[in-house]
Amino acid sequence: MRSFAVLLLALAALPAEAKIPAEEDSCLGCHGTDASMSMDLPSGEKLGLFVDQDAFAKSVHGEMLRCTECHADKSDYPHESKPFKSRRDVTVAYYEQCKKCHFSNYTKTLDGVHFQLAQKGNRQTAVCVDCHGSHAIGRPAEPRSRVSATCAGCHKGVHDTYATSVHGKAMLEGNGDVPVCTDCHHAHDVTDPRAGALSLRTAEICGRCHTDEKLMKKYGLSTKVVDTYLTDFHGMAATLQKGKKGRGERLAAGCTDCHGVHDIQKPEDPRSSVLRANLVQTCRKCHPEATDSFPAAWMSHYEPSLKKTPLVWSVRLFYYILIPFILISLAVQIALHLWRVVVNR
Amino acid sequence: MSASTGTRAGSGEFILRFGAKQRVEHFVTMVDFLGLCITGIPQKFYTAKWAQWLIGTMGGIDSVRWIHRFFGVILIVSVVVHGVGAVLAIMSRRVGFSMAVNKRDFSDAIETLQYYLGAADHPARFDRYDYKQKWEYWSLMIGNVIMILSGLALMYPSVAARFAPGELIPAAKMAHSNEGLMAFLVITVWHVFNAHLNPDVFPFDASIFTGKVSRERMEHEHPLELARLEGRPADDGHGAGTGAHGGHPVA
Repeated sequence: MRSFAVLLLALAALPAEAKIPAEEDSCLGCHGTDASMSMDLPSGEKLGLFVDQDAFAKSVHGEMLRCTECHADKSDYPHESKPFKSRRDVTVAYYEQCKKCHFSNYTKTLDGVHFQLAQKGNRQTAVCVDCHGSHAIGRPAEPRSRVSATCAGCHKGVHDTYATSVHGKAMLEGNGDVPVCTDCHHAHDVTDPRAGALSLRTAEICGRCHTDEKLMKKYGLSTKVVDTYLTDFHGMAATLQKGKKGRGERLAAGCTDCHGVHDIQKPEDPRSSVLRANLVQTCRKCHPEATDSFPAAWMSHYEPSLKKTPLVWSVRLFYYILIPFILISLAVQIALHLWRVVVNR
Repeated sequence: MSASTGTRAGSGEFILRFGAKQRVEHFVTMVDFLGLCITGIPQKFYTAKWAQWLIGTMGGIDSVRWIHRFFGVILIVSVVVHGVGAVLAIMSRRVGFSMAVNKRDFSDAIETLQYYLGAADHPARFDRYDYKQKWEYWSLMIGNVIMILSGLALMYPSVAARFAPGELIPAAKMAHSNEGLMAFLVITVWHVFNAHLNPDVFPFDASIFTGKVSRERMEHEHPLELARLEGRPADDGHGAGTGAHGGHPVA
């Protein structure tokens, strides 16, 4: 009994080697040798049939999956050729294989904009393998910049804009603190940003980093930006409209309406939409009749202070003193009055 | 200020204290105030569950804002009608300025507080409006002006910023929000006490709705006015004339 346990331990201690299960040999006998192996599709495209053994072995699945777990219909030889018309047909037909193991992430995609568009007949929207790859699947966020590069495969214009923003530039320089696409948009349940649902949630999304004391301290940024926004008109309306379903009329500016979305710059950058000189233009997006004095109505994420906004600060102080003074005076007078009534009885 | 034109000694028992215009004005103000509070206070406390429930019930923040503005416009109209009417009435010398605050109100207040504290035998004897009523009236009037001006600045921020520095708008929000809360608290504490819980009128002082007050109550609460109405000299202990207090036809 004891020697059996020792044997088990010895087996467990064997060095883990990137190796493909032996069963694969029969498939790779054909598909792993000739790099030019391919078939012609009716669309005129060529479908490559070669599998890079090394790439698969190094992938996250290399040591655990056999070919037939995904290619379940190819269990015998010769295997029937399915009537695929194009390469896209192949991708769309095979992507559902992933859900056998990755069910929760697959379910999330059903809420995503890519799936919704696919349902409407758009076959170009991203499915699992478009982002993750097929045989050479690696960890999707290693390094983090890989996420944005993946999205850029289809969303090149947006990525180019992002790459010039304060976040994108830092990301390209290897800074892991800044958001990549999926931090705001999510990876599997990608929200459709056009409906405005994302815009109303920006306080929460941007706030995840911009209220993080430790992180903001590193860059000398204020963590009050979300609170000061939420106590103002825009933040109040956004808070109350957040729960609303559907398109609806958007009457509240969120973070991105003033700061930009993919093109966010530092507020002191000459290109920034919230730089003092550019601010009127930004206000006019919603307040077309705004004049040069209008942006001063916004307290720039500062709390009322004697130095920055003396008028607001004074009004607040006035009421902080007056309200308790008046109410206590009235309460005292009422109490005295009632006391007199009781004494006179 | 009194715009009462129909005040006259009643048939022995009752005296007509408030004319139709005053009663309508009070009714409009009351309904309007309730409307403003119910649409305004949840906006101030919008993070609270009850406030979000109220706003949701009233159709969401956008419709709540429009309802609030609707009541706000009614407030503006009622304040203008009241103010212009009062100025015209005083200028025509048909009535005296019975709401005017004068030195006597301060001595009345001190005297009444002395009475409450047991240092005087009886409270001050009042004319048409006592110092508490004048205080509430003028608080409401000043409050209305603040609420209307700040409310307009919030309703038309870009227009307001054209005539004043932009900082006026957050200041207006601060003022509107706090003045509104104060008005609500003063009304719930002070007005509800004086009109409902005060042992003299408990449970409900209906005079502002019926216009009528019993002679007995007048004798008790407004003896100087009653004396003048009945053409008697006022034995008010102050020995002062009552001309300045006349809320009634002078001729």
